Amino acid sequence: MSVIGATSLSGKRGGESRFALRRIRSSGMFWACCASTMAVITLLFLVAGYLFVLGLPGISWALFTQDATGDPEAPGGLRHAIVGTLVLIALSGVVGVPVGLLAGVYLSEYSREGRGVPARATRFVSDVLAGVPSIVTGILGYELLVVPMGHYNGWAGALALAFIMVPIVARTTEEMLRLVPDSFRAGSLALGATRSQTILRVVAPAATGSLVTGVMLAIARVAGETAPLLFTALGNRALTWDPSQPFPSLTKQVFDYVTGPYESQKRVGWAGILVLIAILLVLNVSVRIVAARAVRSRT
Amino acid sequence: MVVQAMPGRDCALSMNHPPIPSPDAAIAGGEARAGDAPGATGFGFGAARQPKLSVLEAIRRGESVQGHTHAAVEKEAALLRVRDFKLFYGKSQALHSINMAIPEKRVTALIGPSGCGKSTLLRSFNRMNDLVDGVRTEGTITLRERNLYDRGVDPIDLRRKVGMVFQKPNPFPMSIFENVVYPLRIAGERKRGVLEAAAEKALRSSALWEEAKDRLSESALGMSGGQQQRLCIARAIAAEPEVLLMDEPCSALDPIATMKIEELIHQMSGRDDQSAGGYTVLIVTHNMHQAARVSDYTAFMYLGRLVEYGPTANIFQNPHLPETEQYVTGRFG
Repeated sequence: MSVIGATSLSGKRGGESRFALRRIRSSGMFWACCASTMAVITLLFLVAGYLFVLGLPGISWALFTQDATGDPEAPGGLRHAIVGTLVLIALSGVVGVPVGLLAGVYLSEYSREGRGVPARATRFVSDVLAGVPSIVTGILGYELLVVPMGHYNGWAGALALAFIMVPIVARTTEEMLRLVPDSFRAGSLALGATRSQTILRVVAPAATGSLVTGVMLAIARVAGETAPLLFTALGNRALTWDPSQPFPSLTKQVFDYVTGPYESQKRVGWAGILVLIAILLVLNVSVRIVAARAVRSRT
Repeated sequence: MVVQAMPGRDCALSMNHPPIPSPDAAIAGGEARAGDAPGATGFGFGAARQPKLSVLEAIRRGESVQGHTHAAVEKEAALLRVRDFKLFYGKSQALHSINMAIPEKRVTALIGPSGCGKSTLLRSFNRMNDLVDGVRTEGTITLRERNLYDRGVDPIDLRRKVGMVFQKPNPFPMSIFENVVYPLRIAGERKRGVLEAAAEKALRSSALWEEAKDRLSESALGMSGGQQQRLCIARAIAAEPEVLLMDEPCSALDPIATMKIEELIHQMSGRDDQSAGGYTVLIVTHNMHQAARVSDYTAFMYLGRLVEYGPTANIFQNPHLPETEQYVTGRFG
């Protein structure tokens, strides 16, 4: 500062004004960032506040113990939809998470520096898939599992959701594993470890936190999907554990209630959104705790 | 012959020279022939009508040059033998017909200016170069007369016998204990007692036990750089390798940490105390003083060729070639 100040003092006026201009630009940048951050925070609080205001009145014990009645006078609860969403998340996760993780491991660890035809094709397809409107995967599930089975069912819904998860998990896994320094890999291989030992014992544990984040992002995304379920699981007013039947889900139930004409059902619908957010929060925290424990026990 | 020029494009060089001996003969008998040849103290380019060409110039021109190996090296029992070893990264050749014998339970230093291939040569001993795309080798490197590049040799197995310490300390993001026992873990060892005994032994050998014994379960990333590097040495020797490769192990460390590592290298070779293990150590270093301090033998490399190789004292105080003298005294490179 002092050096710049000294030269501009002794120098020509042009230099000084250029310096002033740079300062204005610099602070302009700073305030633009601040303003945008404020806008984001405000928006977030608006959404959250709106949900709480609308959803809290509908929260009750019955919400978790009763199923839908179909009667606008006494709409009942959301037990069937909560169970349905949890089952759909579990089923789609069982398929989508391992496939996504392993594909990501391939892209980052086994493809030659990410070059090579299979790697580039996988990455391209993943990027395209991640950008495909979710209703398209719903239609795919419809063609693959609804039409052959003759009726809407939970398997088709879970598969459609898994289709959405795979590219998200694969790409975040690849990105996160790439952040692990190569010196870890070299160190492990130089000690006589195989590639799979290196990945399982050094590379993946070093990235566990971010891998979990990627998986949770995919689960959250999927848990909030409605469009692919319209064509596949359809929905069900009764509690069912059988995925070969039309299957309930929170999002579909909320959609039906909130867009419907009855105030009593709207209240339950708004409460359902709060429940969905709470489920994701609990899931996120518990998966993180479990993953952290698993890593600690091995290292 | 001290320096031999391959018959090649530049025929002026090769005209007055005997044919190149086979690489094996070059190692086994190079010194004896050098003694027989008249005027062996200079270069082999004796004829007056030929331009006097230094070894390094010849190398720069792409001539094939066989390095000068001092007789004392051959008197030691060799654990590793490099025979006519060439290495290519794609189309560019990084190592040119390297011939050298690495004495058992001694410290051998590889020195030379950047890009001379010393790290590449080091990584050839545990086949870490296999991990680089497009690497191709010719010739052999034998460990106890077994060629490391034979089809039947599993690099995973090899790397258990030939440990490596890297330039930058690279402890894994685990506890100190788990870092040290990592080689045992991947070999399938599960008994707590065995792991603990191995960890203590390795940490004692790397002079880290006193500092680390009360914090074995803490993360290794919380240690200082010098401690981390000694941990990496402990980890490498926990696998009980025969050979320890060190790729500029002190270049990221401060002088005191460097001193500790150098002491460690000195002890590990088992020169003073045979009970201390006795590893065959190969160390790449940019620091000439370090090479002089820690090593028994020193090899000077230039542009992928071995130029001169002999007892460290000879290389630094009484080198055979003026080029070596110029390099070790810091006049080039």
